Amino acid sequence: MMYLWIVLALLTAAVAVALLLPFARSASAAASGVSNARRSNSTRAGEVEVYRDQLREIDRDREGGLISTEEAENARAEVGRRLIAAAAENDQDNTGGFANRKHRIATALVTVVPPALGLCLYLSLGNPGIPDQPLQARLENPGNNIALLVTKVERHLAENPTDGAGWDILAPIYLRLDRAGDAELAYRNAIRFIGPSNARYSGLGETLVVANDGIVTEAARQAFEQAVKLDPADPRSRFYAALGLEQGGRKDEARAAFEELASATPADAPWKGLLDEHIVKNGGTPLAAKPAAPSLGGPTQEDVAAAQDLSQGDHKVMIAGMVDSLAAKLKDEPDNIEGWLRLVRSYAVLGDEAKARDALSTGLAQFPPDGNDGKRLLALGKDIGLDADASPAPGGARP
Amino acid sequence: MIVEIGHYALVLALATALIVSTLPMIGARRRDPAMMALATTGSLTLFALVVISFAALTWAYMVSDFSVKNVWENSHSMMPMLYKFSGVWGNHEGSMLLWLLILALFSALVAVFGGNLPDTLKANVLAVQAWISSAFLLFILLSSNPFLRLDPAPAEGQDLNPVLQDLGLAIHPPLLYLGYVGFSVCFSFAVAALIEGRIDAAWARWVRPWTLAAWTFLTAGIAMGSYWAYYELGWGGWWFWDPVENASFMPWLAGTAMLHSALVMEKREALKIWTVLLAIMTFSLSLLGTFLVRSGVLTSVHSFASDPTRGIFILCILAVFIGGAFSLFAWRAPSLKAGGLFAPISREGALVLNNLILTVATATVLTGTLYPLVLETLTGEKISVGAPFFNMTFGLLMLPLLIAVPFGPVLAWKRGDLLGALQRLYVFAGLSLAAGLAFAYFQGGGPVLSIFGLALGFWGMFGAIADLWYRGNFGKVGFATGLRRVRGLPRSAFGTALAHFGMGVTVLGIFAATTFGTETVVEMKQGQTAEAGGYSLTFDGFRDAVGPNYTESRGHFTARKGGAAVADVWSSKRLYTARRMPTTEAGILTFGLSQLYVSLGDPMDSGGIVVRIWWKPFILCIWGGCLIMMMGGFVSLSDRRLRVGAPAKRPKVVTPKGGLEPAE
Amino acid sequence: MTRKQKRMAVILGGMSFVTIAVLLVMFAFSQSVAYFFMPGDLAKTDIQPGTRIRLGGLVEEGSVKRGQGSTVSFTVTDGNGKVDVSYTGILPDLFREGQGVVTEGVFDGGTRFTADSVLAKHDENYMPKEVADRLKKDGVWEDGTGKGMAPKKDAAQPEAKIDGKPQVMLQMPGTSGEGVTRQ
Repeated sequence: MMYLWIVLALLTAAVAVALLLPFARSASAAASGVSNARRSNSTRAGEVEVYRDQLREIDRDREGGLISTEEAENARAEVGRRLIAAAAENDQDNTGGFANRKHRIATALVTVVPPALGLCLYLSLGNPGIPDQPLQARLENPGNNIALLVTKVERHLAENPTDGAGWDILAPIYLRLDRAGDAELAYRNAIRFIGPSNARYSGLGETLVVANDGIVTEAARQAFEQAVKLDPADPRSRFYAALGLEQGGRKDEARAAFEELASATPADAPWKGLLDEHIVKNGGTPLAAKPAAPSLGGPTQEDVAAAQDLSQGDHKVMIAGMVDSLAAKLKDEPDNIEGWLRLVRSYAVLGDEAKARDALSTGLAQFPPDGNDGKRLLALGKDIGLDADASPAPGGARP
Repeated sequence: MIVEIGHYALVLALATALIVSTLPMIGARRRDPAMMALATTGSLTLFALVVISFAALTWAYMVSDFSVKNVWENSHSMMPMLYKFSGVWGNHEGSMLLWLLILALFSALVAVFGGNLPDTLKANVLAVQAWISSAFLLFILLSSNPFLRLDPAPAEGQDLNPVLQDLGLAIHPPLLYLGYVGFSVCFSFAVAALIEGRIDAAWARWVRPWTLAAWTFLTAGIAMGSYWAYYELGWGGWWFWDPVENASFMPWLAGTAMLHSALVMEKREALKIWTVLLAIMTFSLSLLGTFLVRSGVLTSVHSFASDPTRGIFILCILAVFIGGAFSLFAWRAPSLKAGGLFAPISREGALVLNNLILTVATATVLTGTLYPLVLETLTGEKISVGAPFFNMTFGLLMLPLLIAVPFGPVLAWKRGDLLGALQRLYVFAGLSLAAGLAFAYFQGGGPVLSIFGLALGFWGMFGAIADLWYRGNFGKVGFATGLRRVRGLPRSAFGTALAHFGMGVTVLGIFAATTFGTETVVEMKQGQTAEAGGYSLTFDGFRDAVGPNYTESRGHFTARKGGAAVADVWSSKRLYTARRMPTTEAGILTFGLSQLYVSLGDPMDSGGIVVRIWWKPFILCIWGGCLIMMMGGFVSLSDRRLRVGAPAKRPKVVTPKGGLEPAE
Repeated sequence: MTRKQKRMAVILGGMSFVTIAVLLVMFAFSQSVAYFFMPGDLAKTDIQPGTRIRLGGLVEEGSVKRGQGSTVSFTVTDGNGKVDVSYTGILPDLFREGQGVVTEGVFDGGTRFTADSVLAKHDENYMPKEVADRLKKDGVWEDGTGKGMAPKKDAAQPEAKIDGKPQVMLQMPGTSGEGVTRQ
């Protein structure tokens, strides 16, 4: 900061000196008594010289035979006239006064304008407080800036793209940064280069779920399946697998899966409440009545509830927000089949059956059921237990 | 800190420009040497400040300082160094700074090499230059500031538009701007002369090197841009009559006219008013071009960003400078003394014809470019004026000029002899026609009109040779003496001949490439072969590759002639990852002056890919001719006489430090 | 000839050249100017078959069909109408379904439009100007970011969140897509 202002001050001073130089010279010339006329071109000397050169050129051309003697004479006469005129004015000019004026106003302007205008404008436009930030230096000392850390690993991976460990580190960070697409790629690369593991597959699955607004897609389901194969006790993968069943409308299977998971879950696990909720949703009764494992000062009931509320609430709010904006967009631009598909699915996930049905029929109005896109809508409707026309009881909508 | 120093230097530059634009002018009126000398030091200071500023921005790009918004928007840390560097002007703000840098450079050059100018003229010229600098400094600082910062700084930039990630970006804009902006010097000379109310043959001599330099760079810039578009866009075309191309072409046409009319003025003191008008028009067209490209009224690869305030700002600059200059012209021109007289058939007459045709051609291009804009503003109707319009009007109008060019140099000044000129040239005309016919014969024949066009190209080339032939008087004095005489000619004579020769080469290339070129669109699968231009091209299949900031799918082709493989080429589809933008990289094979141009299309369901193959015979003549024209410009610029006109040979004028040679 | 007559001759010569140029320009305008239309306008205007026009709009999703060789057909729409277009040649790199496009060509008698040139965007945010203006007016399309060069993460997904924060737009250089699998 301090250095910056010193440099700026020096720069200003240098400019002022450069601009004052002519005045200083003229003053010293006046003092030493040298006439300005001697030193300057304010006469028409230059012009006279041009015409003299033209005369010489005419002579050359004539000697070379490029123009006839007659032409040369005519041209000489013409240039000669110009030369005389210029020379005459030249002498006149020379007699003109070249008084050495005092340049009080001019010097004052030159001294005051650059610093004043410079400072005023710079203070309103510039950012003297922001230091230079060359990327290399920032990467060497990234501190706890996640984006920089990510860039650092990215650069490493750009050079060693087969370094699976790097991808493995990056993948969950991408997911946290809301870059699901990159996270998916990173997980897949990690799996390819350092082999499958439960954490990688279950992370990949979760990424796919996030990328699809909370829907457990077929690809995600396969990932969770792999994860469970690698570690049958992994609650996250099992939970999502069950969720997938629930979203597919297979309530009984879902309930069974949730119950199984819940029975293997210690009562003080923070996700216990979530499980219970899903069990209830699928028509079961929570296993919460089971005697809790003798916990030594484990979290109280309230703690768990709070944690649950937080994560659940956050998730719901986030999804709801996304869905709302999607719905608004589709209102303006209904010509978007992918959007409709996603909207219907999202409402289904949020459990808002009425809205889902609504969206489905609006979508079908846009894309007639006999068309390709319409068929996709219908198929989706069937998948998640909605029927566009007939609407059987939600419980009986098993495919 | 460096970035902020650059920003501050730009602000200081504005203050300096304001001082230089006023005090020296007052000094010139009062004949005050100190205040006039301020123009010289001030212009040099201004240049130094802009250099500091530009260097600071360049540094920010080189080290990927993403705390600078402009860098973040247009760079990427993984880009090759060259593109980081050229990316400085690959965006609106940076390119305006480059514009300013070159403007300041020209002012500084006038300050340094203008020792032969009368002090008042020099002071006025530099003051007018400083007006332009002030206007553009204000524009940059207030509406296109490249030094805006981001806090906190992002970790990665958004990459440069892939189309611009090419060596072409490093060369094309600077060359083009050297041309565009170089004409500002002519404009300033004209305005200064009008302010002084005095203009004469010497003025034309003083303006000439600047016109020549600007013209030469603009020629190079346009040719470079054309070649860039040719190989980068993958459309096989080399000139699209795109409004942005026209914007650079119009100053070139007007500048060419000015180059010729200044010649008349220098020799005969005729066409004074006209030359001044042309000087103003040429730079006005440069400004108009800047406005069209920068304001966003046109959309193309060139208009980086559109922002209405910028458009209005530039429009104001345009109105003030063009309007002001023309008002000054209308006020002062009648008081200028008329110059020498000449007969219609004479060197002057030929140059007037040149001017007439070039200005009318400029006007048609201007009409075609602006008509859609005007119509849309007035009626809201949207139309497009495409290449057919320009080919028809511009092409037809240029024909008489191309025919007339060789006559000019063989006609005498003041009163020429058309019959004598015809006698001198008919052999060359016959030769051209024969050459045209022979050319068409070897290419397998073509329509009569194109044979005429080819002959026209040869006519331009042979006419230039005829010029030197008669100057050397080879026919009468024999070869040895003739050669000696030619050697004794001033360099500008060679410059003229080279430039006219180059024009002929370009015309030849245009007609040859359009007449004998072929275009084939085929669906190819691996191992299949297509024919073009006497070569058979085999598609060998795809390979995937990863570049620093893109991934690509490269198709490999082998060209065979008579069964033997003669060359191979890659053509690829790229995806630039940061912007998720696909581009097509054409594969170009050069055989002599001709080229085989391969461009990939879309993959087909059947597993093949659409391939577009052009055979472009003699296409390199088009740009080669421009190169020769450019060489002509430089040769002319090195003419000793352009340095005369000053008491320069006497040690009165201080030679610039560091043993710099005058602008040549 | 006297000097006056000579001068008159020169001036007349110049004037006639200018006149020829003006006539030429007018003729060329009548021949080669193409008016711009959107599909919705076509119902309102009567266009002779064979008249060159520019047709702009959005490429309808799912309408692009590759035919024989390099002939492609697609539908251009603006929300108020649809026109089937066929084109032989290579489509621009940035030609995509759902994106803006300007085609130039003629109607071949019926309702089919035969284009001889197809222009798409120059970069991922650039919408052909005529099309963007009209779509904005009709409220069909919105400027993603208001700035010509500011990137959208993925233009093909209208519901992708567009976030002004730079960090969100970071992209993996050289590794997106299938870059790595292709080693």
